[in-house]
Amino acid sequence: MKKSPSNKNDQLDLGLRKFIKDLGYIAGGSVLLASSPWLQSCTPEKLEEIKGQKARIALIGTGSRGVYHIHNLLNIPHAEIVALCDNYPPNLKTASDLCPKAKTYTDYKKMLESKDIDGVIISTPLNWHAPMVLDSLAAGKHTFCEKAMALTMDECKSIYDTYQKTDKVLYFGMQRLYDEKYVKALQMIHSGLIGDIVGMRCHWFRNNDWRRPVPSPELERKINWRLYKESSAGLMTELGSHQLEVSNWALKRIPDSVIGMGDIVFWKDSREVCDSISLTYHYKNNVKTTYETLISNKFNGMGEQVLGNKGTMELAKGQYFFEDAEPAPAILQLINQVESKAFSAVPIAGPSWVPEIETQHQANYVIKGPISINPGISTTGVDKDGSDELISAFCQASITGEKAKNIVEECYCSTILCLMGNQAIEQQKKIDFPEKYKIPYLNF
Amino acid sequence: MNHPYFNYYESSSLFHGSLLSIMGTRFDILFVIENKVTGEALWDKIQSELIRLDKLFNRFDPESEVSQINAGACLSPFIVSSEMWDILLSCKKYHQQTNGLFDITLQNFNKVLLDHKDKSIMFVDKDLRIDFGGYAKGYAIEKIKGILIENNVQNSFINFGNSSIFGLGKHPYGDCWSIGIEDPYQKGKMLGEYKLKDDAMSTSGNMPSNPKHIVNPFTGVYNEEKKMVSIITKDSVDAEVLSTSLMIAQIEKREEILHHFNTSEIFVYNL
Ligand SMILES: NC(=O)c1ccc[n+]([C@@H]2O[C@H](COP(=O)([O-])OP(=O)(O)OC[C@H]3O[C@@H](n4cnc5c(N)ncnc54)[C@H](O)[C@@H]3O)[C@@H](O)[C@H]2O)c1
Repeated sequence: MKKSPSNKNDQLDLGLRKFIKDLGYIAGGSVLLASSPWLQSCTPEKLEEIKGQKARIALIGTGSRGVYHIHNLLNIPHAEIVALCDNYPPNLKTASDLCPKAKTYTDYKKMLESKDIDGVIISTPLNWHAPMVLDSLAAGKHTFCEKAMALTMDECKSIYDTYQKTDKVLYFGMQRLYDEKYVKALQMIHSGLIGDIVGMRCHWFRNNDWRRPVPSPELERKINWRLYKESSAGLMTELGSHQLEVSNWALKRIPDSVIGMGDIVFWKDSREVCDSISLTYHYKNNVKTTYETLISNKFNGMGEQVLGNKGTMELAKGQYFFEDAEPAPAILQLINQVESKAFSAVPIAGPSWVPEIETQHQANYVIKGPISINPGISTTGVDKDGSDELISAFCQASITGEKAKNIVEECYCSTILCLMGNQAIEQQKKIDFPEKYKIPYLNF
Repeated sequence: MNHPYFNYYESSSLFHGSLLSIMGTRFDILFVIENKVTGEALWDKIQSELIRLDKLFNRFDPESEVSQINAGACLSPFIVSSEMWDILLSCKKYHQQTNGLFDITLQNFNKVLLDHKDKSIMFVDKDLRIDFGGYAKGYAIEKIKGILIENNVQNSFINFGNSSIFGLGKHPYGDCWSIGIEDPYQKGKMLGEYKLKDDAMSTSGNMPSNPKHIVNPFTGVYNEEKKMVSIITKDSVDAEVLSTSLMIAQIEKREEILHHFNTSEIFVYNL
């Protein structure tokens, strides 16, 4: 990395620092970080230490997600885009126009030979994840790869095994891990806010063909890689991986089996992947997560509901509901304080409180003030969903070399679960978590 | 329906119980206790006590003792329970100590006759009624404090509708319970912070949603000032009585009233 003399570059990434501060982080440890341990490597103090330094970042894959990352990177003071690689010229040009100083490549292996790169961001189709991640780590680069982890279980396992041996940082694009409303909500769930978790419902509904326009027919498989099994594991890895990860995060467990079905119900074109999937994941404590996705009806949108015996958390909306009477906000604030071992004044005193008309299932909000909700329609990403914090944390790690706890494990488990779901669909039977792919992480 | 709710927070041994609708307001309690089972048993006792007190004080419940008094004490003596007798005596004492400003009849407590022989009450004016609105919450907190101490609870926080608060012991990570008070006319504007350590805090005042509800018994006029009074004392009933009385007392009478009490602190906000 290089030291930068200019003043503007001395700025810290206020976004990430503010994010962690807003979460109620206090130096020297807090329960927050116990619930989201990957945040330990990007605390405000650690960000202060790298003040003025810049991670030299290279991107492989400058399609829609790659360009989205470029826009975030351009706002991160501790990052500098030095190289771009894509084997589809129009996409490479789009990226190059955004960062004209960066060197361009069409062969990623050539790019990885460069000594002037600290971190590599991979946003290519799923079949390319494993070869690129492994090559990038082998080339001694800190590596960020988009989710899901890889196309096959074997590839996932070899990434996981390689990660155990490398001293490089490895991140995956699971932005919910860095989304303030998720991080806070999960901490609240783990502190017992909604009681015991008794079920999970995850769903993602859209109404579109999931296609991109193709300039000429021979590019169909390249542009619409999501629709073909050689390059994609379909809706499960594209959408489900995020949500199964959240389910495991909430339950602090990994499911032991899955049953379900998947078909093409509406988009009967030449595609090979399902457009409709309903799966049930079973955890050893008998809690089940239902996973539903359909792309020919968007009424239900996107959501993850954590069902507790005392309440329900709608993670994507940052809202929760109590089964019965709900605790008053100031009391909740006090409880949260005690739970996170913090102490400060709680604004609770006032003239007598007049009871409100009780309405059942009144929404409570995880975050005070405006909250950004992802309607789940975009295939590129939305603002303020944690993606910018995630990328910023990766750039920071590319400078410090400090690994982030659990991100690889979270991504590994959710990807294996997605692939198990696809097996259950194809084989039309219950699939147990294969012994061969179990890793020493969390409980089953 | 009280809508009881409770939750036990294992990692900090914190029990939270709440009743959404009791004594005309909402009740919340936090206490630190070794396990969930013991916590639930204690919460049961607290709930029963609150429900019992509601039966004593609730004017809107025709079966409550106060309703029976209001229906039966008019121009003829009505015998009350021994607990109610003690309460009436204490209300009489407070009436004297506050120069008549604390008045459960809201007009003229002197028209209430208390007969020590048979522990009876009689109203000598047919339009008289009693109302424990400015007393009951403090009384209930004192009772619950007793239950907590009996059960060896050291740290607890009680909130009765924000206006009546008690901090027993301290916050698990602090040296007291620290309370902020917000300007009811300007959301988010903090007026002050108080430290409660075995202290009661009572707040009286007007707020936009409830602009006039405290009446001066001498004039019959409702107080409409944009004003708030907070009292911190050891005794919850004292706090309750003082916050109401000082809300309507003339400034020059405050000292005279206060010298009857062991008040720790008084705060008057003109908003
Ligand atoms: N985290 C999220 O929310 C999120 C959102 C959108 C996409 N993604 C992920 O990002 C990845 C990319 O998705 P996308 O929508 O940007 O796809 P895309 O098709 O728009 O972009 C992929 C790019 O990779 C390039 N590419 C393919 N093979 C290459 C190779 N061998 N060498 C160099 N470049 C190559 C393509 O030319 C294309 O420009 C996928 O893994 C997807 O799952 C994640």
